Amino acid sequence: MIRTVKPKNARAKRALDKKEPKLTENTKQALFVTGKSSSQVLHDAMVDLSALKKPDMKRFNKKNEIRPFEDAEPLEFFSEKNDTSLLVLSTSSKKRKNNLTFVRTFGHKIYDMIELQIAENYKFLSDFKKQTFALGLKPMFSFQGAAFDTHPVYKHVKSLFLDFFRGTVSDLQDVAGLQHVISVTVQGDFEDGEPLPNVLFRVYKLKTYRSEQGGPKLPRVELEEVGPRFDFKIGRIRTPSPEMEKEALKRAKQLEPKTVKNITADGMGDKFGTIHMGKQDLGKLQTRKMKGLKAKFDQNNVDSETEEYLEDAEEGIQNGAEESYGEDFVTATDIDVGPPAKRMKK
Amino acid sequence: MSSVGEEKKSLPVTVEKAIPVTYDLGNLAVFDSNILDRNDLDSSNGKRESHIRDLTRDNVQLMINQILSLPMKNTTEGAGSSTGQSASMTLVRLPDPITELPREKPLPKPKAPTKWEQFAAKKGIKPKEKSGKMIYDEEAGQWVPKWGFNGANKKLDSQWLVEVDDQPKKAGDELIDPRTLSRADRKKIIKKNELQHKRNLKGAK
Repeated sequence: MIRTVKPKNARAKRALDKKEPKLTENTKQALFVTGKSSSQVLHDAMVDLSALKKPDMKRFNKKNEIRPFEDAEPLEFFSEKNDTSLLVLSTSSKKRKNNLTFVRTFGHKIYDMIELQIAENYKFLSDFKKQTFALGLKPMFSFQGAAFDTHPVYKHVKSLFLDFFRGTVSDLQDVAGLQHVISVTVQGDFEDGEPLPNVLFRVYKLKTYRSEQGGPKLPRVELEEVGPRFDFKIGRIRTPSPEMEKEALKRAKQLEPKTVKNITADGMGDKFGTIHMGKQDLGKLQTRKMKGLKAKFDQNNVDSETEEYLEDAEEGIQNGAEESYGEDFVTATDIDVGPPAKRMKK
Repeated sequence: MSSVGEEKKSLPVTVEKAIPVTYDLGNLAVFDSNILDRNDLDSSNGKRESHIRDLTRDNVQLMINQILSLPMKNTTEGAGSSTGQSASMTLVRLPDPITELPREKPLPKPKAPTKWEQFAAKKGIKPKEKSGKMIYDEEAGQWVPKWGFNGANKKLDSQWLVEVDDQPKKAGDELIDPRTLSRADRKKIIKKNELQHKRNLKGAK
C-alpha cells in the first residue's frame, strides 16, 4: 500500500484526482515488468507487445523478483504506483520456458492472471522488415475458434486480448484508421479432457483493392503479416472471485441510455406521441346549452326564483351582451339576445 | 502495383461461412466459431501460416463490409489543423461495445449528503429553484449581479447616508461605521459557510 497523503499543492491534487475512480474510464494503461529470470526472447517479445500497445504503456528495464502465483503484492504495488491496470511479467524457468504472465487488476487488486508461454514458433517485428502498423491506431480483432465463446480459459484469453489492445473506446472511427488487425486463433478444435491447444497470435496489415463486385463502396481486403507472431501455450490461471467479477462488470446507471416513453416513429420517419388521459366523467359533459335545461329551472325549485330570473333577463337585455347570469358555464351571449340565426352559426 | 490491383479486381468481396460470424463493432472485433481443422493449424504443416491468414482475411472482409455499411459522418478539420488546409475525414459511427470487459476501478461512490441535505430530506424541504445570478436594479434601471463585483449586496457600503437601528444589536456597535458593519456581516457568513463545508467533508469520510 502506498501512504495516502493530503496533497499540498494544486498540481499534486490534480494528479491524485486523475487516479480517482471515474464514471467513464480512461484507456487502460499497461506495464511491462521484467522478472528475475528473463531471457532475450522474452525481452524482444515484450518490446514488440509494448509497440502494439503504445502509447498507453510503460516498460521496466530492471529485473524484479516476483512470483505472481505465490505472492502478487509487488504487482499490486506497481499497479497502484503507476496507475496501470494491465501488467505483463516475463519469467523463464526450466519448467515454464519463455513465460509471460498477463495480469489484470481491478481497483489496484489482482483481478485475474494467465500464463502464456511462447512456443518455439515465434517471429518478431524486426524479422519481418516490412512496413509496420502506425502508432496509436485502434486495431481490429479477429477471433477464430468456437472455444472463445464456450471454454472458460479461452474466454479469459479473448477478454484479455480485447481489453489489452483495444485502446480508447469511441463512437466515431476514422475509416482511414482501420489499418491493422490482431488475429487470435485456437489451434484446432478439441474435446473435453484433451490438453488445451495453443493460442496463435498474429498481426496483419490491411491492404484494400477496388473491386468490381463490391462497387465503389466495398473494397477487396488482403492481408500482409507484419508481426509479431507468437504461439502461446497456456499455463497457470487465476480467475477472479465471483464478488470481484460482479463488482468489476457493474455498469454505471447514469450512463445507461434513458428509455423514451410514449414516443414512437413509423417507417416513414413520422413521430407519434401517445397521450394518457385521466378518466372522463360523463356526468360533467357539456351538452347543448339551452335556457330550459338550466338547474335553476328544475321542476322542484320554488317559483319565486323563476320570477327573479325573469326580471334579471329583462335587465340583461337592456345592459347588453356583457352581462352574465351568474351561472358558470352560460354567458349572456349564449342567451337569445341576438337573432336566432346567429346562435345557429355558433 | 496496378497489375496487382487489376488481379484483385475480379475477386469477390463476399464470404460464405457455414456458421455466420458474430461481431462486436464497438470494439472492431469479429468472432468466428466455425470448425477449425487441427491438421491445418499444426506447426508441422507447411501451409499453416497461409491458412491462418486466409481465415483471418475472410473474417476481416466480413467485418469491413459491416463497418462500411454503418452510418457515416463527414467532417472537415480546417480550423484546428496546423497546416491551415482543410482535409475531409470520413468517420463511421460505431455502436456501443457488447463484450463485457472488467472496469479498471470500482464505480465512483456517490457524494455523501451534507447536514443540510439530510435535514431537508427529513423535513421534506424541496431545494430552492435557481433564479440566476443577475437581479434587476430598479433605481439604476439595469441588471446587476446579486453578489461579487458591483454586487447588489454591497449597495450599503457606498451610501453617503445610512439608516441606523434605534437599538444596536450588540453593545459597542454604535461607535462603528455602519457601512463596515455590513461588510463584516458578509464576511461572517462566508466564514460560517466554510466551517460547515469543512464539517460536511469530515462527516463524509
